[in-house]
Amino acid sequence: MTAIHKRKRVKVEVAPSESHKPEKRPRKTKGNMQDGSNVHDEIRSETRIDITNVQDDDGLDIQSQESGEEDEWIGFGDEESTVREPKPEAALDSQHKSNRPPTALELRDIKDASNLYRSSSFKLQIDALLPNVRPKYHRVAPLERFLHGLHACLTSAPPTSPISPLVASKKLRKQGIHVPYPLPEPTEDAKWTVAFTKPVDIVLAGSWANKLSVKSRDAEKYMVDVALEMPSKVPAYEDAHTLLRVWANQRGYGRGSRMCVRGFEGSGQLWAAVLDLLVHGEDPSHNALNGTVNKRKPVGTGLSSYQLFRAALDFLARSDLPGLRAFVKNTNGHRFPAGDYDTFDAVLVDSQSPFNHLAGIPLGSLSLLQRDAKATLEALNESALSEDPFNEVFLKEHRDIQTRFDVVMRIDLNSAKLRNKSVHTVLDQGSSYTMLLSTVDSTLRTALGNRAKSVTILHPTSQPWALSDAPPLGSPVIFIGLILDTEQAFRLVDHGPAEDSPDPEAAKAFQEFWGDKAELRRFKDGKITESVVWNVKTSDERAHIPFFICAHILQRHCGIPEGQVQHWQRSFDNLLRLPESITSLYQAEGVEMGFKAALAAFDSLVKTIKGLDDKLPLAVLNVSPASDALRYTSAFSPIALPDSVLPSIPYTAQYLQPMEIVIEFEKSARWPDELRAIQKLKLAFFEYLASTLMTAVSGLKANVVLGNPATTPDIQDSCSLEIKTPQGWVFNARIWHDREAKLLDTAIDDKPHIPAHIKKKLSEEINLKGRQIATEAKEVYLRRFVHAPRHHRAIAALSHRFSAFSGTVRLVKRWLSAHWLLDTHISGEAVELLCAVAFVGRGKKVANPTQLVDVPGTKERAFFKVVDFLKDWEWEGGLFVPLYGDDQVNDTETALAAPVAIKGAAWTIATEFDPAGRMWTSHGPDPIAARRVTAIAKATWQCSLGVEGAGYNVATLFTHPQADYDILIDLEPSVLPRYSQNLHGNIDLREGRSFANAQRSEEIAPLGFDPARMLFDDLTRTYQDTIKVFYDCLGGDRFGIIWEPSVTDPKPFRVMNRFSSTPVRKNDEQGKDKEKMVTLNTESILSEMERLGAGLIKTITQQK
Amino acid sequence: MSNTLPSSVSGFTPIPVAYSSSCTHILYATAHKNKKKLTRKNKSSTLPDERTLFLVNVPPDATEREITQFFNPAGLVERVVFEGQGFDENTRVESENESDSEEIEEESESEGGSDDENHPRKKRKVTKESKPAAPEVKPIPFPTLRTYHKTGGTAHVIFLEPSSIARALSPLSKPRPWPSDSEAPSGLSHYKALYASLRPPLDVVKDHADSYMESYEYEQAKKKQKSKHKKGEAIVDEDGFTLVTRGGAYGKTVGGGVGIASKKFQNEARRGGSGKRSRKNKKEPQEKEDFYAFQVHEKKRKELIGIKERWEQDKANIAKMKASRKYKPY
Repeated sequence: MTAIHKRKRVKVEVAPSESHKPEKRPRKTKGNMQDGSNVHDEIRSETRIDITNVQDDDGLDIQSQESGEEDEWIGFGDEESTVREPKPEAALDSQHKSNRPPTALELRDIKDASNLYRSSSFKLQIDALLPNVRPKYHRVAPLERFLHGLHACLTSAPPTSPISPLVASKKLRKQGIHVPYPLPEPTEDAKWTVAFTKPVDIVLAGSWANKLSVKSRDAEKYMVDVALEMPSKVPAYEDAHTLLRVWANQRGYGRGSRMCVRGFEGSGQLWAAVLDLLVHGEDPSHNALNGTVNKRKPVGTGLSSYQLFRAALDFLARSDLPGLRAFVKNTNGHRFPAGDYDTFDAVLVDSQSPFNHLAGIPLGSLSLLQRDAKATLEALNESALSEDPFNEVFLKEHRDIQTRFDVVMRIDLNSAKLRNKSVHTVLDQGSSYTMLLSTVDSTLRTALGNRAKSVTILHPTSQPWALSDAPPLGSPVIFIGLILDTEQAFRLVDHGPAEDSPDPEAAKAFQEFWGDKAELRRFKDGKITESVVWNVKTSDERAHIPFFICAHILQRHCGIPEGQVQHWQRSFDNLLRLPESITSLYQAEGVEMGFKAALAAFDSLVKTIKGLDDKLPLAVLNVSPASDALRYTSAFSPIALPDSVLPSIPYTAQYLQPMEIVIEFEKSARWPDELRAIQKLKLAFFEYLASTLMTAVSGLKANVVLGNPATTPDIQDSCSLEIKTPQGWVFNARIWHDREAKLLDTAIDDKPHIPAHIKKKLSEEINLKGRQIATEAKEVYLRRFVHAPRHHRAIAALSHRFSAFSGTVRLVKRWLSAHWLLDTHISGEAVELLCAVAFVGRGKKVANPTQLVDVPGTKERAFFKVVDFLKDWEWEGGLFVPLYGDDQVNDTETALAAPVAIKGAAWTIATEFDPAGRMWTSHGPDPIAARRVTAIAKATWQCSLGVEGAGYNVATLFTHPQADYDILIDLEPSVLPRYSQNLHGNIDLREGRSFANAQRSEEIAPLGFDPARMLFDDLTRTYQDTIKVFYDCLGGDRFGIIWEPSVTDPKPFRVMNRFSSTPVRKNDEQGKDKEKMVTLNTESILSEMERLGAGLIKTITQQK
Repeated sequence: MSNTLPSSVSGFTPIPVAYSSSCTHILYATAHKNKKKLTRKNKSSTLPDERTLFLVNVPPDATEREITQFFNPAGLVERVVFEGQGFDENTRVESENESDSEEIEEESESEGGSDDENHPRKKRKVTKESKPAAPEVKPIPFPTLRTYHKTGGTAHVIFLEPSSIARALSPLSKPRPWPSDSEAPSGLSHYKALYASLRPPLDVVKDHADSYMESYEYEQAKKKQKSKHKKGEAIVDEDGFTLVTRGGAYGKTVGGGVGIASKKFQNEARRGGSGKRSRKNKKEPQEKEDFYAFQVHEKKRKELIGIKERWEQDKANIAKMKASRKYKPY
């Protein structure tokens, strides 16, 4: 630590002597990019003293800027080395020959970088970042000229005699200048006067004069602050300040054209003040109300910029910001006593001025600042070293309200009218706009209480206005972002004071605050209290309670009608619902619906099966669920349709998704020792189970389902038992027999003890095909019986732990299906793993994941987090999801293995139990589909930014662009049993209206019959090397097809060409060459597809 | 497009097939040749050289019946052997493997010929193993459903008469219409039929499973009898050697013989460095690393170089990212 300090001191000494010949030095060490930094530093120390000198050194400044001021530390090291060995080649040499150990100096620098910064690469990245966010001081000449002019103008202006404010403003109006008097505007009989006298002195202050300016977001202009001088005695101060402001700008605490956090618009010096507090410590003599609190001591002066930055975050994260009372230590004492600041909620006063830097910042904004600081610290502390948090902390923008807040509301203030408006408070706040926003802030925070962790008002920063205009009123549209405490946010009742409360005013205040929502109620425990009860009908509505509260309060206290408070939760809910008419039809029939009901049905089935114990040849050990409908993550909530109601339900709404379950029998020696025989014995078991179940439960139906012999090898687990309960729930049971695994292993490799190279010699007649089949069967076995139930348990646990998780998965599934990728290219399990990232993070965590600060509280926010993740995910590198938690796995250092290339598999999503990460992604997405996901995520993200503007529509995020497909196949909706799930389909058809008379009661869709999917599978398999097929597995009625790029050009004829071809006709003279050439027979292929889908396909359109 | 098809494409005769007035599918046909494979056992009997036609680019939904009918004008067809006949998804891998291991010539003709011969042979072998000739097994009846083959696939058509080959290969003046088999449904009706056929009545399932298990047990018993040896009994041959086998299902050897350690045990032993070797390793005296001063120096030096290398690497990485303007946050 002392090293930097010392070196810095040396540098200061060196500076004056060197600065006389600044022209020479850069040339002397030409090619050594680190060199210029020192020159720059020297110049800076001079300009700090005298502004006028800047111009003189301008040319020099250019050089120092161009050469970059990064790697300051190296510059110094090199400087010394240049003193000793002036040959620049020496430096070059040492760079090239890295087999030579580093010199002591180099070593010191390296050690410093890794000790004083998070890691050496972190330090290098900081150095790379800094020059990009600072103004180019060599371009300041015009500004300097202006400032000199301004100075001259102000000092030379003649003083005026005192006159009435109105007269003065009239006078100025003539010259085209508008005087922005604070409200209320002065009147004729104002007792005060205004005058101008020559200023004693004018000091250019603030971050510009200190060279502390940091670029703002959105190319906003640099602000030349005019308030205080910030002496920077601590070496790393400047860099830390820059880092802090970059951090803040990325999070909307500053100026910008996008949504910025209210209150930070003009708070450029807050950050300097925070650092000031850290560097100088708190004033011990300036005790605020709570004198007992330990005063902050100054941090050491030897800190690196990174350490100082961290300390600042630590201060923001840990101190009680909304109640802060901090005065920076000042040897001369503060101008005002602490008591004078009592009217402020939060106080931070620096050593130079009496200004409270936290004035005007709503408490809601401060609590958000605190959360952000915590989250960043967490990222810096927790992420494994392999995952560089630099990007997350400094480079990534965090202003996007859709991923930042659980609930986002857009509020039109035009018709706002405050309920309690007193002139005094308006005076206090400066304007009625500020007054309005501060009322919004305080009432919402009171109303939400502990439901919300932070309530934030956001709006774009105000634009500079012309001298001649009145200042703008402030953005007429604001956004409110809530971050919820999911434990509290959705409770139905808020309790107020008890009926027999000793303070009668309390009840009145409660009633005044809540209006007609407040009511006196008697509760179960006998207490009678004032209370507010939110009536909700569905669990979806329950998630809207925070919004209901906000809307109610805004209407009551700010006069904002409910229609002017826009939110989008309902649009998202609707995506996960069948059309209203269908659900009401289901409801009218009184069928069972929902995840809880499905789980109850599962439990009762398990009970029934276990109850048959004495009738079955083997005892049932376990029945495990392995279906997303039984873990709260299927896109649609599950439904039961008993046979009796099917006739009154349209064909297009009769689809029932069977729920997969796995039955495990006790171990027995009676199982045959041969794979095919095992499958046959399973058949016998199923048959027996089916007939026993049907006799035990009346109304229950059970069918043995065989695997399709054309696509399933006979040694693979293929048969299952389809069970439909009397209530209409459908299950698909399979039998897990663990001996299969060993037999398959033997089939894959019956001589594991013989080394591979010897085996190669022996293998004259190895059954390659048999081995291939066995390998695939083993994969199916592992996935179906080992991983699926385990995955199910982990995901179910997440659904219970995070209330927003279930909705998130459902939304993301709907989104991917709407973009024709779910199930067919991306397995539901892979989606669940991706969604888990938004909740448990990625990579190995050291700490308990429950402590994560930044867990989304609503499905909407988490959905956008997933989209955000997908748009930037470099999937070539794979992903590790700590799904099971560290304690579950005996730590075998499951480092992310380098992804093994599998044909047709692009993603690797590893967990503790699947280090290879291919369990759920080996059958897709392939690179084409993976690139599609990235593109769609980008487009969706871009679209979601529209939330900040007007006319934002959620549906567009779920609309799939179809222009890029070569072929579109339209299916006949009326023959699709799950068409009612279609997102955009013809509403009449979805409701079965237009053909209601024809289809109803005539045809019943077979259980789980999904002809669209069957056709999709056949097309995909048949044309595996010719086309790629896409469609929405949730009720989609259109296939999109693209040709494989490899088949579109004419090729020489080969037996193994693997596509339907036609000879190239002899049109040209080069007939000889053409003889062997064949080209894709598009016509014939389309006609084949038509035959494959006869009765299903309505039209085939060739787009290209 | 001029409508004249070339008379031959790489030695194959293109046969135009009319599915409709607008759509013409092309079959490529040539006489089947066994050439190289004649030396191998039982080949010629499977696919008789002189009366087998080799087809490429068979329509994916074609049935044996349809092909038979289509070639009826050329002569009576004995049977049709489709490529792979079984699990579609494996054929490609297999054919690739084959061309690797057996080094089939690049010439398409011989490649096609040799390639196709293997499938029937293998198929036969598999079925022989899987279904021990036990007449008692009652099959689950399966309706005549189309099996969709992969596009561009091959098939062998075996005629009754060798003379049919020439007739089949003679160029057609205009596309011959495809005879659609009305008994095998397609499209939606196919899927409905398939759905139904995969859910047979329970009594059929029971009969099938029971009879299969009976025959399986019968076969097992027969095997056991044949081996004459009882569980757990040592098998000693005429020379007095004892047969050593690996443990069976539950630690006992099924067919007799003396059991040795299970495979799992063996695998584990190997993974952790097999028994003997690991013991040896432990005893081997380790070379002292920090004994001589030069070793210490060398170690330190290496460490330092390593540090520097990492540092330079970091720098290079950052410089690279810097070049891509990554450090412009906004």
